[in-house]
Amino acid sequence: MESNSTSQHISHKFDEEMENLRNQVLKMGGLVEQQISGAIDALQNTNASGAEKIILNDHKVNALEVSIDEACTQILARRQPAASDLRMVVAVIKTITDLERIGDEAEKIAKMALNLAEEDINFHSRYAGIRHLSDQVRRMVHDVLDAYARLNVDAALKVVRDDDEADKEYQDLIRLLITYMMEDPRTISEVLDVMWAARALERIGDHAKNIGEYVIYLVKGKDIRHLDLDDVEKDILS
Amino acid sequence: MINQQTKAWFKSGTPWIWLNAGAIAIALVAVFGLLLLILFRGMSHFWPANVEAFHYQNNENNLTVIAEIIESETVPLEALHNIEISDNTDVGDEYGNVTRYLVKTGNRDILGSDFRWLYDIDLLDREQPENIMALERIEWGNFYGYLNAVYENGNLVTDKEVWPEFIDRLNRTNDIRDQILQLEQGDIGAINYQLERLRLKEKRLQLDNKLTDAAIKELEEQRNNLNQEYGVLLQQTQKLYQQINRDSIKATVMDGSEVTIPLEKIVKAWQPNKMSTLNKVGYYLHTLWAFITEDPREANTEGGIFPAIFGTVLMVMLMAVLVTPFGVVAAVYLREYAKQGVLTQIIRITVNNLAGVPSIVYGIFGLGFFVYFLGGNIDALFYPEALPSPTFGTPGLLWSSLTLALLTLPVVIVATEEGLSRIPRSLREGSLGLGATKAETLWRIVLPMASPAIMTGLILAVARAAGEVAPLMLVGVVKLAPTLPLDGNFPFLHLDRKFMHLGFHIYDVGFQSPNVEAARPLVYATSFLLVVVIVTLNLTAINLRNKLREKYRALDG
Amino acid sequence: MTEAIATKIDPSILTSSSAPDDAETCMDVNKLNLFYGESQALTDISFQMKKNHVTAFIGPSGCGKSTLLRCFNRMNDLVDSVRVEGEIILDGKNIYAPDIDVTSLRQRVGMVFQKPNPFPMSILENVAYGLRLQGIKKRSLLEEKVEWALRGSALWDEVKDRLDESALGLSGGQQQRLVIARAIAIEPEILLLDEPASALDPISTLKIEELIYELKSQYTILIVTHNMQQAARVSDETAFMYMGEMIEFGKTNEIFTNPAKKQTEDYITGRYG
Repeated sequence: MESNSTSQHISHKFDEEMENLRNQVLKMGGLVEQQISGAIDALQNTNASGAEKIILNDHKVNALEVSIDEACTQILARRQPAASDLRMVVAVIKTITDLERIGDEAEKIAKMALNLAEEDINFHSRYAGIRHLSDQVRRMVHDVLDAYARLNVDAALKVVRDDDEADKEYQDLIRLLITYMMEDPRTISEVLDVMWAARALERIGDHAKNIGEYVIYLVKGKDIRHLDLDDVEKDILS
Repeated sequence: MINQQTKAWFKSGTPWIWLNAGAIAIALVAVFGLLLLILFRGMSHFWPANVEAFHYQNNENNLTVIAEIIESETVPLEALHNIEISDNTDVGDEYGNVTRYLVKTGNRDILGSDFRWLYDIDLLDREQPENIMALERIEWGNFYGYLNAVYENGNLVTDKEVWPEFIDRLNRTNDIRDQILQLEQGDIGAINYQLERLRLKEKRLQLDNKLTDAAIKELEEQRNNLNQEYGVLLQQTQKLYQQINRDSIKATVMDGSEVTIPLEKIVKAWQPNKMSTLNKVGYYLHTLWAFITEDPREANTEGGIFPAIFGTVLMVMLMAVLVTPFGVVAAVYLREYAKQGVLTQIIRITVNNLAGVPSIVYGIFGLGFFVYFLGGNIDALFYPEALPSPTFGTPGLLWSSLTLALLTLPVVIVATEEGLSRIPRSLREGSLGLGATKAETLWRIVLPMASPAIMTGLILAVARAAGEVAPLMLVGVVKLAPTLPLDGNFPFLHLDRKFMHLGFHIYDVGFQSPNVEAARPLVYATSFLLVVVIVTLNLTAINLRNKLREKYRALDG
Repeated sequence: MTEAIATKIDPSILTSSSAPDDAETCMDVNKLNLFYGESQALTDISFQMKKNHVTAFIGPSGCGKSTLLRCFNRMNDLVDSVRVEGEIILDGKNIYAPDIDVTSLRQRVGMVFQKPNPFPMSILENVAYGLRLQGIKKRSLLEEKVEWALRGSALWDEVKDRLDESALGLSGGQQQRLVIARAIAIEPEILLLDEPASALDPISTLKIEELIYELKSQYTILIVTHNMQQAARVSDETAFMYMGEMIEFGKTNEIFTNPAKKQTEDYITGRYG
């Protein structure tokens, strides 16, 4: 927002509301980030209590989504925002949906972690591959929230691009996990849990990419969904 | 504490409100007092008061005076010392005051004057004899006395009761008089007017060297026709004159002598002491009506004031007709077309200041410019046949109206400009936006909407013009106009004629009359009528304006 | 990017942008400058208006949008000190050319003002005013055209029983629609609306907006408004003006979601100060 207009609204109340909205989104982002980290930790360390905490905390994310949604509706109804303000509100509405989904995915990972913890397996040795994916995804979420906070188009674009990599990482991991299952059918249920977790991680990456697209829409007013990224890059940076 | 209360009272503005209310009250009392005074003094004149017979002593002689009491006053005896009164020195009430009455004795032809003072110290007796008769005569004012007998062609009419017989015959006489008047002023007047026009036509042809034999013959023929008609009418009139002279009465005056009065000289007869109040009211209304509708007699001190009312109204209307287009056009130019600048501002100030010029100055201007210059030139160009007697080169209705139009022009201009400036811009633009030209917008939108303001200007102009006398004395008003400026002879409206005016009539009756005492109530009555005329003119205009205002109610909100 | 769909979504699902983009140009404004005496009120205004489009002018008070609007029917001629440079091309002719008849121009370019300004006449006479100016006297023809215009301005059903009553008895919204009827009665090509709803209540405003949307099929409409939402609602193109300059001119959808200029952005988001 700051990069678009240096001056403030004539209505300071409006400024406050928008600022508040932004902070709430960042707060939600922070919470979601925590949830992902916690879930991944619980998965990797087969920490059942950590996983349970994550599952319990998901309602906080949901509650934040509802309250931000409400705030957006209020602003739309009362302020009839235009241009960058309008894009901000629209982007927020979409962002929080994706954030909430990320929260759900984190919960899913935590559930898998709980399953795996019951089976008492040596996660590190067998599923090191998932660490790459989780790191990648965690970084993406962090970066995209950072890009959102700073309205940094370049960073957002990078996250969008990174999703391809995460997808590839996911595919590799899946192939590996399928090999495991073929090798030792007894591990199928265990591997399936891991696969679900990987799937969730991949989904988180997709959501992060979506948020990155919203950031670009918010800043540049261009909807880049379903477009060729090279064209987009040329278009935006020109 | 009191001090504070007083302070608070002053602070509350109450004294200021009382001051304002007081000013309004004083103004109202002044206006209504004035109107009531005029009304009472003027309108009481027409009331048929009882006529009394006063018996009094003067130089050992017992005398009788038959008269109406006009007013009574109490004066100290000392004030009367230089006036010859009764020898009786032991007079007056305990304060040495005497009451004296101003009485109207009438019978100016016999007594030499209408009014005299009577002192109650001299009075022996007063009574109101039933059969006292009052007559309004064509000449010499009222007559008071006792009716003795009615004569027809000098022969006593015996077989009938005297009073009803007299009234019957008086009605007949009045009918005949009306017929004569109609013949003389109507038909014979028209013939005279045509003869005069023939004479002018002949002279005109002569001036133009077109007076051929044929023309002379034709003129002569017309003249003969007219003369023939005239002869017939004249015979009729003469016959009527014979008829009107038929009857006469004999009446006893207060000193006991008997006089003969031809009925032809009597306008009206009544027996005031016999009349009931209802009769008196009827008589009163009749007299009032006569006052409004009849011509003046006896140097304006008797009769009605119809020509004055008519002249006033006609002149004011003519003035309105002249001043409205002129003022409106001027205002439209000033406001709509002229480039707003120093020059227009100067013109505007000048116009405003014109309203402050004393009206007599306008009279002088009217006389110098309109009458002598314009009128003189018009005469020279269009009426050379009438010269040296002037047609328009002499004060007249047109010049009076024009002079007053000039006098009231600033009012109309200012009011119209004000009205024009109040038309919302959006309406003009609305009209222009539909493809109207400026002139079309003016005609269709602006002027109709400004019409209430124009009417306001006109109301103010009429109010001012109807009350103006001074300039009119120079440009057209006369003491007694022989004919109305509007009659049945072509071109019907005679702009060149002189006319009578209520304002001038008041001045004339009040100050130029040979019989001041007799004229005084007439002054009040005429003043009252003038006020009524002005109020009527104004109310009509205000009513019209309010209707227009409702129609063109400015857009609000 | 296998799932990427490279087709643009047709924005015509939104009704307010249903006017065809490829409409022919109705008026071409070319380097228009306007001076009040020494001071310049409009600077180098250039843009094209499309036929049967609604073009909205927005901007802060005194930005010159009304002045610009009044250039199109030469209403500014009424002010003595006004001088206009540049050209406005209508049907291939510059309306500021010396041989242009201003009154016939104004019949082609109708105007509706901020405050409803019905004339103090009957409803019928108000609408017939422009027709009478054109010399139409036949009562039946007048009535026919008046009915047509009143129907066109969605007022007929409300006033058909009281055509001979004073127009001043109508409500504000009705008056404004009457004024629009008066303007369309003479069948102009272009309608100029100078803040037509600013003096009206919200319901009347919506009626006027609805009317504008319907009139669009027959007229090219220019509207000046202070109400940005209104401009967003009714217009196809929006021009943002500031200090006598046209800062931005473009599709309304663009202007209100993603304006190109920072000044426009600041104005429409309420950061103008």
